[in-house]
Formats: sequence, C-alpha cells, structure tokens
Amino acid sequence: MRNLTKGTLAGIGLLLASSTSVLAQELTILWAEWDPANYLQELVNEYQAESGVTVRVETVPWPDFQTKAFTEFNAQGSAYDLVVGDSQWLGAGSTQGHYVELTDFVAQHNLTTAMAPATMKYYSEYPGGSGHYWAVPLEGDALGWAYRKDLFENPDEQAAFKAKYGYDLAVPETWQQLLDIAEFFTRPDKNMYGAAIYTMNAGDAIVMGVENSVFAYGGSFGDYANYKVTGQLNSPASVKALEDYRKLFTYNPPGWGNAFFVETNTALAQGQVAMAMNYFAFFPSLINEATNPHAKNTGFFANPKGPNGDDFAALGGQGISVVSYSQNKDEAMKFLEWFIKPETQKRWAELGGYTCDAKLLESAEFRNATPYNEAFYQTMFKVRDFWALPEYAELLTEAADTFYPYVVDGQGTAQETLDKLAATWVDTLKSAGYAAE
Amino acid sequence: MAVVSTRAGRLGNRLAIAAVIIITLIFLSPIYWITSTAFKPLLLSTTVPPTVVFEPQVTPFVKLFVKRAQLTGPVDQEIYDAAPWWEKLVLDGGERLSRDGKGNVVYSAYPDRFVNSLIIAITSTLLAVSMGTITAYGFSRFRVKGEADLLFFILSTRMLPPIVVAIPMFLMYRAVGLNDTHIGLIILYTAFNVSFAVWLMKGFIDEIPKEYEEAALVDGYTRMQAFFKIVLPEAATGIAATAVFCFITAWNEYAFALILTNRRAQTAPPFIPSQIGTGLQDWTVIAAGTVLFLLPVAIFTFLLRNHLLRGMSFGAIRK
Amino acid sequence: MMTRLDPKSRAATRGWSDITIRNLFIVPTVAFLIIFNVFPLLYSLGFSFTDFKASSKDAANFVGLKNYVDVLADPVIWRSFATTLWYVIVSVAGQFVVGFGLALLLNRPIPGKGLLTTLLMLPMMLSPVVVGLFWKLIYDPSWGILNYALGLGKVAWLTDANLALYAVAITDIWMWSPFVMLLSLAGLSAVPKHLYEAASIDRAGKFYTFFRITLPLVAPILLIAIIFRTMEAFKTFDIAFVMTGQPAAELISSRLYKMAFQQWQTGPSSALAYIILIMVLCITNIYVKYLNKAKER
Repeated sequence: MRNLTKGTLAGIGLLLASSTSVLAQELTILWAEWDPANYLQELVNEYQAESGVTVRVETVPWPDFQTKAFTEFNAQGSAYDLVVGDSQWLGAGSTQGHYVELTDFVAQHNLTTAMAPATMKYYSEYPGGSGHYWAVPLEGDALGWAYRKDLFENPDEQAAFKAKYGYDLAVPETWQQLLDIAEFFTRPDKNMYGAAIYTMNAGDAIVMGVENSVFAYGGSFGDYANYKVTGQLNSPASVKALEDYRKLFTYNPPGWGNAFFVETNTALAQGQVAMAMNYFAFFPSLINEATNPHAKNTGFFANPKGPNGDDFAALGGQGISVVSYSQNKDEAMKFLEWFIKPETQKRWAELGGYTCDAKLLESAEFRNATPYNEAFYQTMFKVRDFWALPEYAELLTEAADTFYPYVVDGQGTAQETLDKLAATWVDTLKSAGYAAE
Repeated sequence: MAVVSTRAGRLGNRLAIAAVIIITLIFLSPIYWITSTAFKPLLLSTTVPPTVVFEPQVTPFVKLFVKRAQLTGPVDQEIYDAAPWWEKLVLDGGERLSRDGKGNVVYSAYPDRFVNSLIIAITSTLLAVSMGTITAYGFSRFRVKGEADLLFFILSTRMLPPIVVAIPMFLMYRAVGLNDTHIGLIILYTAFNVSFAVWLMKGFIDEIPKEYEEAALVDGYTRMQAFFKIVLPEAATGIAATAVFCFITAWNEYAFALILTNRRAQTAPPFIPSQIGTGLQDWTVIAAGTVLFLLPVAIFTFLLRNHLLRGMSFGAIRK
Repeated sequence: MMTRLDPKSRAATRGWSDITIRNLFIVPTVAFLIIFNVFPLLYSLGFSFTDFKASSKDAANFVGLKNYVDVLADPVIWRSFATTLWYVIVSVAGQFVVGFGLALLLNRPIPGKGLLTTLLMLPMMLSPVVVGLFWKLIYDPSWGILNYALGLGKVAWLTDANLALYAVAITDIWMWSPFVMLLSLAGLSAVPKHLYEAASIDRAGKFYTFFRITLPLVAPILLIAIIFRTMEAFKTFDIAFVMTGQPAAELISSRLYKMAFQQWQTGPSSALAYIILIMVLCITNIYVKYLNKAKER
C-alpha cells in the first residue's frame, strides 16, 4: 500500500515536528459521512481544476460528528479549515470564537438577498436578529414527508377511506388528516402501518419529530430571544401537538422506538408504511429504483398545517463556516467566494446538493428537477429551528430523555411531560447564566 | 474429568461433543448473518420478513473499496456500456463512482485505514505483551516493596471508562504532537492493554514452578538466560492468550481512533460502520468491511490455537 | 503459591543482579502507566472540582464538592447506576455460566478442537460498534432475523422497557463468553491428571471431584477472567449506546458520555467518572481478596 511507508514516516516524524505541517494550497472541510459530503467532494474537485487548490472533504460518522468537531474546536485545533456545521452550532461557534465572523463577507456579496431568507436566518445569523453572520448556507434541509402514491390513488382505498372519514383520500393538508390517513392504513394483520416517524432517543431524532408537530400546531419550544420557556413550551398548543405525536406513534410499526432517518426510509422502501417522515436530504434514495422498489410510486409533501392553520416545519441543514484556528483562512475565504457564485450553486444542485440560492430555489427548473424539490421549496419558506445557544446540546438531550418515555412508552401525559421539561430547561438555562423563566 | 474409559464416560464424551457443536452453531449464527449480508443486494438486507435464500453477489466488496455517491438521475446508456464490470455493479446499485478532477476513480479510505490498523495493532500488541510478561515475571519472582498495592494500581488503570480521559488525552497529545500519529495510537493502546497483560501473565507465571529455574541456575545459567530459555517457553500459553486479547482490543478500538486522528493515522473501525448514503444505511458494505476486518484476527488466533490449547501442563509439580 | 527465588543464592549472582533485573522489569512499566494513565486522571480529577466546560472559553472556577453533590443527588444517575449494577450481574453471570460451561465441555480430546475454539472466539474479535449495529439489525421487530427464525412474532427487544437491558446483556454474553471460556480452558488443562486419578480410585463422586479438585485449582485464573469482565461490563458503552436509547436500559457509561461529549459538562462528568472509579475499585478489591485467598489454597 502506497501510504504504508509514508504513514509510518509521517508518524515518526510527527513525534518531533509540530502538527502544523498542513501544506499550503490545501484545504480540509469537515462534515459528516453521507452522500451530500460525497457530492461536495465532487464539487470541490472542480474547484481544484480551476484554482489548483486541493480541497478534501473529511467525514466522520453522523453520531460522532458533534463530538469530533467540538473536541477539535475546544482544543483550538487547526486540522480543519472549514466545517459544515449544524445550525445549532452557531451559538458555540460564534460566542466561543470557533468560527470566523463573516458579516462583512455577507454584506459584500449581498448574501442576505442571494440566499433564501430562512437559510440566512438559521444557518448563519447569531444571535437571531443581530445582523452578525458566521456561515454561508450550504445544504438546505428540513423535515418533509414521503408517501406511497399507489396506495393513496387506489380506487378501493379511496372509496373505503371516504366511507370511513367522510372526505377524499389525498395528500394531507392538516395534521388531523395525516392522523386519519395513518390510522386508516394501519393494518397489523397485513404487516402494513400508517406512518414511520422519528423516535430514537439519540442526537436530535425524536426532538426533531416532535418539533415538526409542535411548530405546525402553533406551539413553540420557547421564546429564544428572551429565554422564556414556561407557558411556551408547555402551552396548550404544544401539549396538543405532543399528544398527537404520541397518537401518530401508535400507527407506526411495532417496536418503533429506535427510528431515525435510516429506519423511516427503510420502512417506506420495504412497503411497510404508507407515509414516512424524513429530512429532504434523505429523499434521493426513495426515488432511486435500486434502493426503493416503490420509487415510481413514491410522492412527497411538505409538513401539513396544524389545527389553527399554522404552517411550519422543523429545520435541518447546515452552513459552512471558516474555523478560526485554521492556518489557511485566506484560502478558505477564497473558496467561499467561489462557492457562492451562481454557477457553482447551480452545479451543486445538479450534483445532488440542496442549494440555498434563492433564485435557483425559485426557478421552475429546480422545482421540477425531482419529485421532492417542490415540497422542499415550499418547506424552506416555513421553517423554524431549535435553540442555537452554546448550551443547545444540553437542552436537546434533556428534551429527548423527557419525550421518549411519553411518546414511546406511553408514560404520563403530554402536559406532565412538557411541564417537566419546561422546569428542567429553566434550570439549565439559569445555571448557564441566562435570565430564564 | 478428562480421564474416561467407562461406557458411561464414552457416552458422556459424545454428548459433550454434540453439545459443543450445537453451541458453536448457535454462536456462529449471528456471524453467518453478517457474512451473508456481505453478499446481498442492498434491498435484500432489510426485507420484511428477512431474506435467507438469495443469489450472492460481490457488489458490497466492490463498493467497499471505491468512493461513490447516489445517482440523482438515470445513467447514460453509453457510460454504462463503457463501464468495466465492477463499475456496472455499482451503477446497478444506484450509485456512481466519485472521480477526482482528472476523471480518475477515487478509492475509499478502507485499504489505507486497514494498513494503519495492522501497523498500530501489531506494534502495540508486541509492546504490551513484552512489557506485561517481564513485569509479571518481576512481580512473580522477586520481592517487591508494596507489591499488592502496585499490582492493584496497575489494575486500576483499566477501571475508568476510557472516554473520561479523552479530553485530557487529546490536550496532552496535541501539546506533544502525538495526535494523528501512528505512534500516538500505539502508545495509547499499549497503555490500555499493559495492565491486563501484567495480570494475566502473572496468573500464568505464578503457576510455573520456580524449581525449573533453580535447576537451570545450578546448571550455570544466568537469571536472564533462565528467564528466556526456561520461563518464556513454559509461559507460551499465557503469552499466546494475552497476545490474542491485546490484539483484539487494539484492533477494534473506536473512540480514541476517532478523536485522536484526522487523516494520517486513521484506523478502520470508525470507517466500517459509517456507510450512510442519502437515507439508507448500507448494511451490505458494513458487513463486507466487517468480514474482511475479521480475517486478520481470526487467522492470528487460528495460528496460535495450539498454544492457546496446550494448557498449563507444567502444573504437575505443585507444592 | 507465591514462589520466590532466593536472591542470595550463588547461582543468582551470575550476570545481572536480581535487583537490577527486577527494576528493569518493573520500573519502566509502572512509569509508563503513571505517565499515560495517571496524568490524564489527575487532569480530570482537577476538572471534577470546577465548573469547567470544555466547550467554553470561560475560565474554570473552583466549586469544591458541588459536582459530586449534584451528581449524587440526581435521580437519573442513580437509576443508571442501578441499571448498570443489574446489567453487570446478569451479563457477567451469563458469561461465567456459558464460558465456563463451554470450557468444561471442551476439556477433553475432541477432533478439530483448535478450529472449534477459534470459531467460538469469533464474536469477541468483532468491533463493539459493529456488534451493536448488527444485533440491532438482528433484533429488529420488522426486518430482524431473530423473531422470524424463532417464530416470536413482533417482540420489540430493544425498545421495550422491560426487555432492552436483557437484549443488550444477551449480546454482551454472546460476545464475551468466549473470553471466559478460553481462560477457563487454560486453567482446566493445568489441573494435574494424577489428582483425578487419585479421586477416581477413592471412588469420589463427580460433584466432589468438581468442587474439591477442579474448581479450587481453576479458581485463580477464572477469577482474573471475572475481574476483567466485571470491570469491562461496568464500562459497557459502545454496544449499548448503539443498540438502544431506552431510558430504562441506560447504562452509566452512556449517561457519562452524554454529559461529557454531548452536553460538554466537563466538571460534573469528571466527578461522575470518579464516583464510577471508586465503585469499580471497591468491587474489584473484593474480587482481589478472593483471588489472593484462592491462590493461597
């Protein structure tokens, strides 16, 4: 193997040499291991051909992404020049000095208008509304739904549905319809279930799922600007939303308490469910016949409205930031300048990336390019996000630990669950030094 | 127990062998499941109900060695026709090969990481076993002040969940430039294993009667000669068992390999499970990576099997 | 049987002196362990008395025993401890029964014994993360092979609050019984044959032979195996973390990981780590006492 001797020599050499020997003309981007990172590597290969600068996209497994990135940041490591970080990282990235401030860059290139407004707001600005920017939106993402068109369009099913619920079986426009449809298709004797949703008690899985219903019901996870939790997180709207999320869970396949993006896609591809919740980034495999036998019969829709007509969805996605400990900051900025060019963004979308470029998103060409792009376009204008404080991860694990027993095990009530979480969050925020209530 | 000549004894023996074979089959069934997954088409890896009989294919192994990305549209027929057989397998699976700026196929990190794993695991095993053996001999044969406490200290270094020291370790390694080096991981894994090696080897060396060495000393050997020519051969079983265990630990370590390395000294364990495309975990490639990664340890253990089983037959002379 | 060589014997004075050899053999290892284990340990001991957050640039403040008090007052952590303790008992007992049982069965002339032993050891050769992932696949109520092969219907192994811990323990037993088996086998083959012969002449019963001859002689190496398995079971992280998020099955290492690396509560997590260390120290200490007793026999 060609790297054997090289590796050994490097190993010995590095004992004495400092770890700063990153070659100039070389940039390293850290991201998680998934196809968008592969697409990004393909994209930056073209940058190399143009500029002569080698760009490597280094990936780590999703569950370890946060650990790896923050271990590097916290030790002020220069191993990575750029990082494609989660929207929630902005708080820590900006206040702890891990990210280079890009406010001037954003102004210079008019990014606030060039990129879709929600993406600038959630992937770049921190604190919210402050006009300080820390990232360039790279991969737009949000929660959407995939469904089995063949089941929805089957005349027998349509007749049976109409007889039972009194209205036509179609893509749900409200959460109530979503629940009806899920109930309708739940047929355990035929190994068929209504929906597959996020339930895993790890990372942001179950919390993202609950967010999707809470936001649509007009509830909230708190007033982020004023650190107000009580009365918001446990408002009647949030309680109803959580109750319905639990109800939806009962229309999932048995033992569905360990599910995240992999499992929901698998359930749909294996014909086990009629609808599946997932991030848009994971939908390409559902229109690929090699990975989904129902590819031709899979449709997509944006998160339905809540009972009061509120229309929101939970945000995913990432922006790319320059790591302030990098020794190639100038090169990194040059790369960002290239990345935001409209032709680069167009190429990015062609390769499979979810561009955040406003003009591209609105173009008919983009919206018709895939069966899910239209739903993605609709969703990106109605997204809301989780807390982005440096302490977001504490809030996130506390939320997951609290939601899980209610949603999956059916312990307690939605009101008790949210009251308990509100109290926990107030404590956590207070001990982090915020004037929380 | 081992001495059986009666009819009942022979029957017992047969029953025991039958039981061993049945248990072995039960133990192997998950391994069989992993191996069979390594030869499945991706869609068959998670069917409801599970697929047991299928036509095996090598696609997962091809995918393991190349960088690829999910296709976002149909493949151009001309490109497909011009592709070599292995690229066709990848395209059939709904993925395209990643290419660098010059259009060359990009290979995955698996081979390089595999080699790194070999270098790091072999070296650290050699170090841990050697240190463990001599230290165990020292404790077993000489009077050491505070011996029990020292031994307990050595044991205690293995009691803490290792992730606790990950942050201090990271800072320390960065300060001395050991992060992302082979030597860094070698030292770390040696430190993980040495306490285990000392304790296990002491258990074995204690059982070697000192009379053997004393006889050698009387014959004119120096203590070192006696150690190398008498004690080490007698301790072969222990050394083999210790080496196998240390190798397994170093070979499979995940957390520190992930945190302490970036690109030069990365090992295979963090790579193998991270096969997530756009939305489906590629169980077949994970299985293929696992099966190949299992081979070196399995071969190493198989080669040492006779040492492992020889037992401590020297125990005959006991006080 | 603590056999010691007489350092004053004439034979021992040839070549390097015993003292030199002893120091040469012991000191480097101890020094190495101090540098690579005690240094980071002291580092985190320091953290445990502060409100330090590795994710924050704020200076660490000394908070005395506050972290220890907070951790010990947290019911979630107590539940994790109780879960872990039960898990250790189930898992180590299972490994002992299966591993030692297998060793007893294997301790006779068997054709292809080397191959059989190697095959039996395959589970422990796998990476824990991969083991966790594949057992998750095997246990899955929808597309898993286990329920299907055994005709169990839709048992939700990893999400049912009453089952998840046992499901993880079964995986751990599957993975690590071979470890106990191999060490037991080494111990069993060391039992001198003439002792059995004497016993059979005395017409001693099978149970008598087993409890009076076999067990005492195998005890020391078996105890070493159990000490290490207990310590490792206490630290179980990868397989459990990968397999289930069921709070009823949350092991203390998973809680520790969440605190240290997801929430970046470096101070409290270091305190928790030290509490774990003290518990493991106590448990191990009991074992070591038994071990020393077993060796004296």
